[in-house]
Amino acid sequence: MPRKSVIQTWFQYVTGILLIFLLTWHLLVRVPWLRGVESFADTLAPELVYHEITAYGVLLLIFAYAALLHGFNGLKNVLLEWTSGRYKGLITAIIVILFFIFAGLATYTVVGVKPLG
Amino acid sequence: MGEERVKARALENRPGWIASINPWVLKIKNNPERVAFVLHRVTGVLMALIIMAHIFVTGTPARVGWEAWVEEISKAHGITAVTLYFFFFAGIAWFHGLNGIRLILTEFFGVCIGKPEKPKPPYLAPSLKACQRRLLYLVFALWAVLWVLTGYIVFG
Repeated sequence: MPRKSVIQTWFQYVTGILLIFLLTWHLLVRVPWLRGVESFADTLAPELVYHEITAYGVLLLIFAYAALLHGFNGLKNVLLEWTSGRYKGLITAIIVILFFIFAGLATYTVVGVKPLG
Repeated sequence: MGEERVKARALENRPGWIASINPWVLKIKNNPERVAFVLHRVTGVLMALIIMAHIFVTGTPARVGWEAWVEEISKAHGITAVTLYFFFFAGIAWFHGLNGIRLILTEFFGVCIGKPEKPKPPYLAPSLKACQRRLLYLVFALWAVLWVLTGYIVFG
């Protein structure tokens, strides 16, 4: 069984590799020429956004979870380094609570999206 | 007396968190890796904070409805708070992502870090002469190009 620190490092790299592909896709869908629209604001039109959420909902959720895990784990590490590990329990608890709040919000964004009127 | 000595020794390795991001105390001469390290941290912390705001804002259609979303995106023309937010968020993400690719290649896959050699004074780590340095310059160059392109798309 690998050590916790090794698992954590690997976890950060694996989610990082996943995020490179998902972030590239997430940024490319905002490029107007690739969406056949005129401007950046047009790529945010309700029809396009609704299609993205309903057609690629699972991908968006994987992206959101990976980004939150990678981001919060990195933030936790930075905070633990800055405080020399003095508030480990408190920092970990806050990070875990924040993760569940925003993962829940991301899930609701995909699952609870209202149909276009 | 003994306690003071222990405290002094501990403080040597604890310059505080401000020192880790203060550009005036960074020893960056011939050390762009250090600049990249600090930028990766700063952009990482900023992104972790902005992701929360991003998830909250993009949840508008589910939380409030499409009317609120339409009102929100009506502000995404020209130079506004919304477009500035996208521009800076994308710039931060570009650097963190591009430098992240370099780190995955060098640290995770061991690519471009050179081979160990017998240390001879003046000692320079082989990794600082290896092709990861060129990769790093490529990261800075691509970052600048992609950020300018993002500005053209978002404000154009």
